[in-house]
Amino acid sequence: MKALIKKFVEAAGPSGFENAVRDLVKAEIAPYVDRIEVDALGSLIAWKGSRQPGGKRVMISAHLDEIGVIATHVDQNGFVRFTPLGAVRPHTCLGGRVIFQNGTRGVIGSERLEDLARTPGFEQMFIDVGAASREDCPVRTGDAGSFDRDFVALSENRLAAKAMDDRIGVAVQVEVIRQLKASPNELVFVFSTQEEVMLRGATTAAYAVDPEIGISIDVTVSGDTPRGIKMETALGKGPAIKVRDAGMISDPRLVRHMCAAAERLGIPVQLEILEGGTTDARAIQTTRAGVPAGCVSIPCRYIHSPSEVLDYQDVINSVKLLVELLGHPIDLQ
Amino acid sequence: MTENQDFLKRLLTLPGLSGFEDPVRKVIAEEWQTLVDELKVSPLGSLHGLKRGYGPEPRPRVLLAAHMDAIGLMVTSIQEGLLRVTAIGGVDPRILPGTPVTVHGRRDLPAWVAAPPDHLLPPSQAGKPVSLEYLLVDTGLSAQEVAELVRVGDLVSFNTQPVELSGGVIAGHSLDKGASVAAVTECLRTLQQMKPGWDVWTVATVQEEITMAGALTSPFDLRPQIAIVVDVTFAKGPGASDYRAFEMDKGPMLGVGPNIHPAIFQSFKTLAEELDLPCAVEPMPAHSGTDAFGIQVVAEGIPCMVLGIPLRYMHTPVEAVMLKDIRRTGWLMAQFIARMEMNFMEKVRMEDAE
Repeated sequence: MKALIKKFVEAAGPSGFENAVRDLVKAEIAPYVDRIEVDALGSLIAWKGSRQPGGKRVMISAHLDEIGVIATHVDQNGFVRFTPLGAVRPHTCLGGRVIFQNGTRGVIGSERLEDLARTPGFEQMFIDVGAASREDCPVRTGDAGSFDRDFVALSENRLAAKAMDDRIGVAVQVEVIRQLKASPNELVFVFSTQEEVMLRGATTAAYAVDPEIGISIDVTVSGDTPRGIKMETALGKGPAIKVRDAGMISDPRLVRHMCAAAERLGIPVQLEILEGGTTDARAIQTTRAGVPAGCVSIPCRYIHSPSEVLDYQDVINSVKLLVELLGHPIDLQ
Repeated sequence: MTENQDFLKRLLTLPGLSGFEDPVRKVIAEEWQTLVDELKVSPLGSLHGLKRGYGPEPRPRVLLAAHMDAIGLMVTSIQEGLLRVTAIGGVDPRILPGTPVTVHGRRDLPAWVAAPPDHLLPPSQAGKPVSLEYLLVDTGLSAQEVAELVRVGDLVSFNTQPVELSGGVIAGHSLDKGASVAAVTECLRTLQQMKPGWDVWTVATVQEEITMAGALTSPFDLRPQIAIVVDVTFAKGPGASDYRAFEMDKGPMLGVGPNIHPAIFQSFKTLAEELDLPCAVEPMPAHSGTDAFGIQVVAEGIPCMVLGIPLRYMHTPVEAVMLKDIRRTGWLMAQFIARMEMNFMEKVRMEDAE
């Protein structure tokens, strides 16, 4: 599965510009699903199986998009000013590289910093694409770019890359689609757009799919780094079953059901309480008359930086957990 | 009111935190059972009660919403047998130390919220109300027993009993939800003696204190023509006396602002004046802070009215409300509904509003 992860994380797909990633996913899943559609916001929706007795229509969602930048102005010397697409953190930017949709590469620089103790804001930064003038610059206002960083396996199980958020969810979902042989459920796999800019893709996809149960697959914060955020989740301790985040309280019945599935499989899981951020599951939960929703999270360090780090065993176990969950009736008691 | 008073007191002894409303929904369902024609539970757990109107079919529908979820705490980690917690909803951490709570682990455990000694806290916390991340919940059990009985994600609810103070004031935890649900129930009781033309859907919503998930979803299938939302608002008192606070015992507050349909507001105001019922106008400049904010934008959009019950010490375990204000709020809603003609919507057109 590492080759698949590498392929997905190295593709560029900032929010609103997910075409390249969508094409990759489409090619990987086409033989394994019954029907594929691309909706008005660009989300890829794949149907697999039909509802058998005891089954439900289940929407599963992983988002295609990643955080990135968008050019706001090109000055007369060819420097590109930009603003973030999604929650980019300015302290992760300086010295970084970006790649625009047309293939142009650039490095992020900043104006002279008066105070090195203070992180400069985006308004003090620019992208140097090697141009000498505005006319010479291959980037125009409105061009979107993503961070440019190779996939690397730090050790056998620890993987680092940009856009693990949420290509790891995309990779897990693709692998689940391939491995699932039979299910009593009508499964609708959504590869959503624009999650990083307020869950836009999942919002409309959930309305169209009209599911009875919703599950998102996304990364969550890991609390296991030196003097880091206080959180119980850690790399390598298994998929995290979301109890709540800043936008959603998971349906407690679904949480119990997920924990029971993990226990049957004998795989480790963790319970997740995330105090900032949310996932596609929130959009599913509040669509139409309401949908019981939950989320399988992969713990990840340095989220929203160009080097997000996670554990490969957590990824493998997330696939196992989802195959087990989706392959059986989901009876919420 | 005694019937309703007993019901209210029962609500105030129950847990029912946002996202985990089962215990309180059961009790409300029991109470509404005899007052409505039909009861349903939404996919997210909101309770929907239908009291059919007497007008010719197809009848228009009015939705009465009160949230049934309460604020509280949730376990985030366990350290040496003591629990670290995060808030569910807008808990005010200043009043937490010394508060009795129940930890809903594998079984319910009595516990207290405790603060470490002031001189052992980091300098940023010393001499001030301690922020939530430094507070602890102590069950008295050994680390091993706690490990067996409690896990991350378990709920912690306030364990204080409601008290009837003198002067018709009731105090307790989660009056925020209790007062509003009691007002809607009072309205249902009053409607038993009336013959409203409209169908009335009473909805006890889930998750108002966190995500408004109930308000965003319940109206989708019910598709009411209008929604009336009851919630609590800040009561005046020493230290809370500016324009954002309202006198207790002066009846419901009538909300006004972008979240509220101006013509429906006007009809409520006119009716309150006709009935000689005390009330005041509460400006709500943006987000009303109530379910109306969610309901207003469901589907094609739903005209909303907000009624506020003044409450002291919001989001603490000693919230206080005047019983008379609850009764008057319920009664005003019932009078309003009973007077709604079948063509009421034609009379409250947006373009005719002042």
